[in-house]
Amino acid sequence: MMCRILYFLLCLLPFTGFAQMQKMTPNEITAFQQSLKQVAEIKTLAADFVQYKHMSFMKKPVESSGQLFVKHPDRLSWSYTAPFHYKMVFKNNKIWINDEGKKRTIDLGNNKQFEKISKLMATGMHGGNYDEKEFTVSYFKNNDEPVVKLIPKLSEAKKYIQEIVLTFSKTEKQLQEVKLIEPSNDYTRFVLKNKKINTDIHDSVFNL
Amino acid sequence: MIRFLTFSGLLALLLTSCGTYRYPNQLGVRNVNTTEVNTYFTDTAQAFVYRARVQAFQKDLNGNLLIKTISPETHRIALVSDLGQTLFDMSIFPENHVLHFIMPDLDNKRVAKEIAFLFRTLTQRQFSQKAITFSGKQAFPVYVVNNAYYAFEERNLADITSTKGKQELLLIHFDSIKQAIPGRIDIEHKRLPIRISLALDREQSEIRTKPIS
Repeated sequence: MMCRILYFLLCLLPFTGFAQMQKMTPNEITAFQQSLKQVAEIKTLAADFVQYKHMSFMKKPVESSGQLFVKHPDRLSWSYTAPFHYKMVFKNNKIWINDEGKKRTIDLGNNKQFEKISKLMATGMHGGNYDEKEFTVSYFKNNDEPVVKLIPKLSEAKKYIQEIVLTFSKTEKQLQEVKLIEPSNDYTRFVLKNKKINTDIHDSVFNL
Repeated sequence: MIRFLTFSGLLALLLTSCGTYRYPNQLGVRNVNTTEVNTYFTDTAQAFVYRARVQAFQKDLNGNLLIKTISPETHRIALVSDLGQTLFDMSIFPENHVLHFIMPDLDNKRVAKEIAFLFRTLTQRQFSQKAITFSGKQAFPVYVVNNAYYAFEERNLADITSTKGKQELLLIHFDSIKQAIPGRIDIEHKRLPIRISLALDREQSEIRTKPIS
């Protein structure tokens, strides 16, 4: 009897943890891409986010949280509110920073991580046409949630990022999680919450 | 004339670099019973998250410094930017270091060596058999280990001064110490334009709830 139970459990294994992430079929990919195009109507996005930095030698991730505002075509405000206050605004190809009252400006080119996130946000908001020159793109589903995996092709980008995993919501097909995996396999997860689409965002949000 | 100038230049360089550092108000050095100095990062059950503000070579950077004690003499240390990008992640041993990751912009042997030296001085447990004697009245002891001076206030290590020749090389100041853990640490490199301020994030650190008896 015990052997039968064990055999039954072994047979179930492929349908549990291992089977959760499945490759999408070509038809599913087409349907997903079309649903992303419908999302292209998004003009503004406001959301809370939680950032989890996982390091292999730490038991728990280092956590921070804040707010995100995006206004089409080129404005993004990214501010941390806990455990510290720090605001970054992306406009005019520069990052404007307010570090607890201390303000400064840096070129976007100096911050690869921020550049990647802002590009991905914009792509995720406007039809998900990922640059196939820059990434190898593959499509999966995880418990019916669409997942897009991007593997950098350019050697310069590979030095910083091994893989980017984007998870979309099951129903609205909106971006809900970005996972940036580093060459060392440590990773950062950004989880978006309380999303508000196409609400009025005052321009002052994009000032320091 | 040129030969004379070259010779005097070399002589001046030799005289300044070969001298010995003297701690302020130092009279001499006495032998003491073996004393353990710098015990802040010796507990392998603990890991620390410090909010870090780094000023280096006229650039500012904010993030988190993660310190995990592997053994009292070995530490895993990583600096992560606010956006979660790992700037470096290394294991630091008494004599060498192993890089697990370093951002391409910092990937230079000298830079990695300097980072390892700085954080080895900060974290490594040391034993001293020498203390400084002072010309005036000195309430708290200052222990000597090789070229470094460990100054105590009350029962806590308050400052580490690492030296080379006659010059100070690295100053580390510990402050707001609770349960034998420094709440604030200020690091100043005296030869390179590097300043680091660290503030402990107790909530995110893996700290024993009860102090070790």
